[in-house]
Amino acid sequence: MTGSREENQAFENIAGYVLNSLDSDAEREEVEELISTDSAAQREHREMNETAGLLALGAEPMAPPARLRTSILDQTRLDNPGAKTQAPAGLVSRLVQSGYAASAIAAILVLAVAVTVGVQNSRLNNEVGQLRNKLNSELQVVNALREELESSKTDSMAMVNQMESEMKKMESDFGSTLAQVSHQEQIVSELSIANNALVQALRDQSWLTYVAMKEGYQVESWLANQQVPSDASGLIAVRVVGNEAVFQVHGLEQPLPGHAYTLWLIDNGGPNPVAQFSVSEIGSATVAFLLPAPLYLYSSVAVTQEPIGKVDHNPSGITVLSTETK
Amino acid sequence: MNYQGLQDLELLELVGEKDREALAELYDRYGRRVFALAARMLNDSVSSEEVTQDVFMSVWRRGGTYASNKGKFTTWLFSIAHNRTIDELRKRKRDRSRQNDDIDDHLNIEAGDMSPADAAVAQSEYAKVREAMDDLPTEQKQVIELSYFKGLTQTEIAEKTDQPLGTVKTRMRLALKKLRNSLSTEMGAQV
Repeated sequence: MTGSREENQAFENIAGYVLNSLDSDAEREEVEELISTDSAAQREHREMNETAGLLALGAEPMAPPARLRTSILDQTRLDNPGAKTQAPAGLVSRLVQSGYAASAIAAILVLAVAVTVGVQNSRLNNEVGQLRNKLNSELQVVNALREELESSKTDSMAMVNQMESEMKKMESDFGSTLAQVSHQEQIVSELSIANNALVQALRDQSWLTYVAMKEGYQVESWLANQQVPSDASGLIAVRVVGNEAVFQVHGLEQPLPGHAYTLWLIDNGGPNPVAQFSVSEIGSATVAFLLPAPLYLYSSVAVTQEPIGKVDHNPSGITVLSTETK
Repeated sequence: MNYQGLQDLELLELVGEKDREALAELYDRYGRRVFALAARMLNDSVSSEEVTQDVFMSVWRRGGTYASNKGKFTTWLFSIAHNRTIDELRKRKRDRSRQNDDIDDHLNIEAGDMSPADAAVAQSEYAKVREAMDDLPTEQKQVIELSYFKGLTQTEIAEKTDQPLGTVKTRMRLALKKLRNSLSTEMGAQV
């Protein structure tokens, strides 16, 4: 920069130049000339131009409508790319004036059109190539996604099959467990019954043994079902001294509703009811009674079912236990 | 091709080869800034869209001729945008049919959606520039507002502020130098 008045003025106008606020084309041309020749002016212009560029960001942020992007890209398609290939008007004029025939002009036009078409073809080819490359890339992505989906599907199917298999096994195990539980419950029930029977039998046996040992009883008679095979049995123990007796029975079925078992002592005079009794769940009962006469004076002993409270001297029910005493 | 991973100048080179995807990527990066500047200056949706379209069509046509040694791409782009918008403003003044001298609010602008990330960046840039502007002396700030955002010439500013033309020129130069000092360190690398 030389420091002339005009140059200083132009230097001062660099700010106005970058802000596009100079008033005349002459001022702009002065600045441009200075910038093209003076390094200090070039630096000043570059710095101020960059600063002015940053000022653009001082506009409130705002996004353009989405359609604008599409519109611009559409516009690039409509833009005439063949303009560069058109022959200058002066050349055409000179050709005409020089006497070349219209065929020459036509040939040039044909050539220009051919070049234009060639450029357009080339551009179209480039675009087709770019689209093809893009399509190939997208196809690769789609294929990769498809493979991934297939893989995921296979894994999922295998997992589902495995889960189904495990569920079936669990169902089978559960069924087996249910059967086992049911069987065990049955066994427990049977054991409970057997245990109760054992407890009852032990209690009866203990009582009888106690009576026999402490009170001087002895078994005088064993009773059984004389008509049909039966698990039921009974005995009569009589005190060695005196007429006290104990009748004990096991295995009798539960009597009919409204009935109870009746113990009979039978002699020549006929049946004599001794006692009416019920039985436990396992058909056990123990009855203490006084013998009207020594047992050997009776011909037999029997047990029948009779209506409760309606016992006379004639047994009406079937004899379930009996024995001869003589 | 991954256009998002390319630098501005690489995209511009592809634009020179008439690669529309490259132009689309440049638009995605800077379209909203160009539109916002036009909207701020013109306060008119249709005109702002037209200006933005003209700017990117200019990039489309002249992209291959851009010389990177003359400055940053964004400086070039915003310069095109600013000049094109000022052309529109001055055309209006000539027509006297659409005055907006006293309108500051963007009441007539139909804006699109901006992603949260873009909005955050834009707001940050805007805040930094406005802060730098607010730090200027009132007279210098007024000169920048009237010249850059209102498109007034230096003579028009002198008349409007009732100041000598030389004073306006001096204030304009000082203002740009102060703005450079405050903005270059913070934003020089951003755009």
